[in-house]
Amino acid sequence: MSSELDSGSQLGVLYYCPCSGCMRTTDAPVKDSKQKREFAELAEEECRAPLDISTQKQLAVLRTWPIEKLYYCDDCSEVRCPHCVIEEPAGYHCPNCTFDVPTASVRSEKNSCARNCFHCPVCTHVLVVVVVESTQGDGGQSCSVLSCAVCMWDSREIGWEFETSTGISAQIERMRAGGPAVKEYASLLDYWRTVQRTASATAVGSHGLTSSASFKHRLTSAGLHGNTTSVDSLPPYKAACYVDSGAELTEDFKALEDANIIPFNGDPRTKEPQRVRLHMKLSRRCRMCHHILIKPESKAHNSRFKIQLLAANFLPTITFPNFLPASKARGSLLEHLNTTPLRVGSTAPVVLRFANPLYTEMDVSVDVGELDAAQTDVLAPRFTLPPFAELWEYDEDEDDSSLASPSASSSGRDSVKRGIIHQHGNQIAIQLDVTPRAQTQKLTIPLCITCTHLDDMAEMDTSDTSTPRRIVNTFWAYVSLGTVN
Amino acid sequence: MCNDKSLVCKNTILEGDIRIGNGTVVHIDASIIAKNGPIIIGTNNIISDRVKIVNNHTTPLVIGDNNQIETDAVIEGRGIGHKNVVQVRGKVIGTSTLGNNCVVGVMCETDPSENVPDNTILFGNPQSRRTRSDNNAEYMEVHNKHLQYVHEMLPRYNAIIGAE
Repeated sequence: MSSELDSGSQLGVLYYCPCSGCMRTTDAPVKDSKQKREFAELAEEECRAPLDISTQKQLAVLRTWPIEKLYYCDDCSEVRCPHCVIEEPAGYHCPNCTFDVPTASVRSEKNSCARNCFHCPVCTHVLVVVVVESTQGDGGQSCSVLSCAVCMWDSREIGWEFETSTGISAQIERMRAGGPAVKEYASLLDYWRTVQRTASATAVGSHGLTSSASFKHRLTSAGLHGNTTSVDSLPPYKAACYVDSGAELTEDFKALEDANIIPFNGDPRTKEPQRVRLHMKLSRRCRMCHHILIKPESKAHNSRFKIQLLAANFLPTITFPNFLPASKARGSLLEHLNTTPLRVGSTAPVVLRFANPLYTEMDVSVDVGELDAAQTDVLAPRFTLPPFAELWEYDEDEDDSSLASPSASSSGRDSVKRGIIHQHGNQIAIQLDVTPRAQTQKLTIPLCITCTHLDDMAEMDTSDTSTPRRIVNTFWAYVSLGTVN
Repeated sequence: MCNDKSLVCKNTILEGDIRIGNGTVVHIDASIIAKNGPIIIGTNNIISDRVKIVNNHTTPLVIGDNNQIETDAVIEGRGIGHKNVVQVRGKVIGTSTLGNNCVVGVMCETDPSENVPDNTILFGNPQSRRTRSDNNAEYMEVHNKHLQYVHEMLPRYNAIIGAE
């Protein structure tokens, strides 16, 4: 493997989300004017001032994302990263039986599958219900057991045999109902419910909340107010099954310590299968305007999305093309790009390809942030990306190579097209000349990219007869170029 | 119990001194190569497709009865016992032997030279082993049904070597 290919694997483009308002547009809806002024100041400051990579590198790493991970709020016309979205559950399902669990049952079943889904205690594979001959009672009676297909573990090893093959969880609950742990838990629950009732009865102002934070708040506030039926007047908890003194251990206490219900620990013969945990489907909202960005289908088997606002659908995607079809004038079919190794002092051409995802034209301007490690010249600082359309509309490729000798055309046309290597459909490949100044393991160039497009949604709004508004998105992209020798 | 003659498909590779017991089925593309020593296969085994049974030793490689050797498995050891299952791409390598009622799991292998005791199950990645606690009582019922089905269906779709 040549060194060019090695450095090629390090090529990448990451998009920076500052999450502080630096990617705001000219006229985005804001909650209040004070916030708007603050954001505008921050935006001007950061976009004007050069980004110092070396000092902010550690912070920036947390805020750079590949474009696949970013979302876009079309209400605010801004990019949102996974840090600046609010996640909320859109549905719960069991990963094993893909049963959609209604939200009410999730809490009552303690976030586990209520049906026959269990993990093997030995190998954590999912257990299967199998009908076998019973070992208890008279031989020949059939019963259901949980068995693992991978390690051949059987629930008969811990003495679990079930009458029916459905509703295993319910049968287990019944088996455990008489045990000391369950009794103790029930009495603890009763005690703390009484405490909570007493505390809420004396609290000033009922919020109707049931979270533990508000419960503590009510406890303390009840104490502060010094009412007669305060929490302190309640008798302390008395253990139902267990003796309180630490030195003596009762039979029941020993049973609790038997590691019967603690998973993946100790002797496999005493391990119990664990119920399969439910999985959540998450939907994401913009943190500023609470507009839904991602909304999946709530059914488990359906992996589509009802709403899917991704940054890749609104911002140009920047990639490193490995090769592009060369212009017909030059004769060769393919041109290998981005293979020049980077050396200190020598200028290497780097080709970046911008792809426009929108159905309208997009004006892009590329500026380089200051960087000590390299000097970068953007040969085509401003260009227009054609809209995304079906391929049959592109009759001819327009190949303009700045490397080839300029064809017989006006100098004005040359200056505009200089730096644009290739243009096809909704993509334009531009060239940057990078001259590294120092040796590094990973050369990263910051680019400030501004894209402007007309909002075509405004044309559909009949009340707004004025010109459609322009949406400007400015963001920083970090282009990694690999090793500099 | 299947007492038919053994069923060996034509598209298999058979070399050397091989004895195959009654009822055993050898599927397509299996290779049974008695390179340095004979191979003795018992009754009612199911040897699936692409299995490689190679005897690199001069002592006979003995395969017992009622085993199931699944697709792409490799048996190069000194032999296996009865009622074992060597799952897909499982390997018995070197000079190892398998006892009875063992299971070599998917893509698992024995150590190069060990006599795997009875009722052992090799499973998982990273590989671990445990001893089965049931007596493998349900195995024969399923195995016999499998054998019956194969004896019925295989000759309809594959050319069979006439048994001698």
